[in-house]
Amino acid sequence: MTRQTIADLPRLGLGLGLRNVHFEHILTHWPDVDWFEAISENFMDSGGRPRHVIRQVADRYPVVLHGVSLSIGSTDPLNMDYLARLKALAAEVQPQWVSDHLCWTGVMGLNSHDLLPVPLNADTLDHIVPRIHKVQEVLGRPLILENPSTYVGFRDNAMSEPEFLREMADRTGCGLLLDVNNVYVTCYNAGADTAAYLDAFPWDKVVQMHLAGHTDCGTHIIDTHDQPVRPEVWALYARAWQQTGGVSTLLEWDGNIPSFGDCHTELLKAQSYMGGAGFQEVVAAAHPTAQPGVSNPVSFLVPQVMDSATSLDP
Amino acid sequence: MTRTLPDLQRWMHDALLRPEDADPADAAALLTPNPRLTAAQSLAIYQQSYRLRIASCMREQFPALCHALGAGLFNDFVSEYVRDAPPESYTLYDLGRRFADFLEAHRPDRDAPDREVWIDFVVDLARFERSVFVTFDGPGAEDLPTATAQTTDAALRLNPSLSVARYRFPVAQYYLAVRAEAAPQPPHPADSCIAVIRRNYITHMAPLTASQYGFLAAMLRDGAVPADMTPPWTTDAKVRDTWLRAGFFVDGSAQA
Ligand SMILES: [Fe+2]
Repeated sequence: MTRQTIADLPRLGLGLGLRNVHFEHILTHWPDVDWFEAISENFMDSGGRPRHVIRQVADRYPVVLHGVSLSIGSTDPLNMDYLARLKALAAEVQPQWVSDHLCWTGVMGLNSHDLLPVPLNADTLDHIVPRIHKVQEVLGRPLILENPSTYVGFRDNAMSEPEFLREMADRTGCGLLLDVNNVYVTCYNAGADTAAYLDAFPWDKVVQMHLAGHTDCGTHIIDTHDQPVRPEVWALYARAWQQTGGVSTLLEWDGNIPSFGDCHTELLKAQSYMGGAGFQEVVAAAHPTAQPGVSNPVSFLVPQVMDSATSLDP
Repeated sequence: MTRTLPDLQRWMHDALLRPEDADPADAAALLTPNPRLTAAQSLAIYQQSYRLRIASCMREQFPALCHALGAGLFNDFVSEYVRDAPPESYTLYDLGRRFADFLEAHRPDRDAPDREVWIDFVVDLARFERSVFVTFDGPGAEDLPTATAQTTDAALRLNPSLSVARYRFPVAQYYLAVRAEAAPQPPHPADSCIAVIRRNYITHMAPLTASQYGFLAAMLRDGAVPADMTPPWTTDAKVRDTWLRAGFFVDGSAQA
């Protein structure tokens, strides 16, 4: 059997993140959304409701598994137990593809639960490439990796992120998940130009895109996923849509999550940026906030257990 | 200055765990400043997010304890906890596993002749909330054959989600009062035995007598009705029926 390549992967349309707070709505209304992206770690060890829900969702919708713990860039060994669980979940829900991030989450056997950046240079590439090969071999499918939002640059960086991603994808056959909000956040924080970033991007490797909201803290922008997509990010999306010829698009909303309907309405705004309205460099409107934002929020992954706990009334 | 990738990652992870020990000169040597922030200020974004992210996940896993302590004190305990026992697992579900033990081991009165009652309550509530949290997503009986009145005692097996524990305070009542937003005061000491169980993906908690607790704990140990124990329904027939309806048991005759 020849292994699937990224060219075989379908275009799914406009999808939403599968979130605990929306389970009830989805199972009751079976909303008209093209596809769902599930956070792998939210389901892979579940013996309870999340597993029960994803089985039903996967019966009715295309599903993608998106992970936050692969830690492909870490210098700790790959966690083979984690990979085996991920593979078992994939066998069960038959996702269209499996993705994670270009990042590391910890070393020394510890986990920061953050998506930490790697130095962008040849040494890091030589470290990561064989690890991607190994993951693809275990999973039996191409891995899709996302550009993270970053807040620091390393003095050891020797190439741009698009250059790094291009070489990584060329050497491994992996696909890319282009998060246009992360492009905006990373470029803003580094004082870099988003147009130059997109000019250099290896568009033929892009399998999926992410949209999300961020928080402007004045001196920097944090990838909080807790509000609507900003106009300047929509502008990047409009260009990315043209350049990719319309790859699968997903809206992430992970903090202050509104109703399913509101998330869906925000997602469908993407349609109005698909008409080739053209790319404009939009100057960020200043909406600084005093709130301390959390990058890569993960607390939405923790189920609201208290809501479903009752005293026994036999 | 360059460092190998392993060294760089160890440095950065250490800087997240112990920001107060991080040398700003290291940040300046390893990271580039940007037009608005120094290298150390950029690193601080990760350091602050790490602290806030873990604290918010722990508040979600221990909402009643957070109510009892107040968010400020709760967050302080969490900071000390993750410094002492940094997260190891890829799954956030593991984050609170060692919290009750940590609170017990680091209680401020541990060398005092008299223990402070409120600290006992904090430890017990942490244990209880951990068990409720684990029950939510652990193995359950949803796909197993339910035991009925016709199931023989010998074929009774426990619902895999069932756990029982003994506490020095009425922690379940307190938990449910927090859930009902009744702003409960910390309770007075009173022994309580509680079963926590999931049925149809809903987590239930049930009070037990001391002898019922002893029986179920023995069943958990042996996997079946212990040969040397008299089931509580021998003296009170209602107990078997109540526990059956509550989903305590599955029918193990298929696997026997
Ligand atoms: Fe993303």
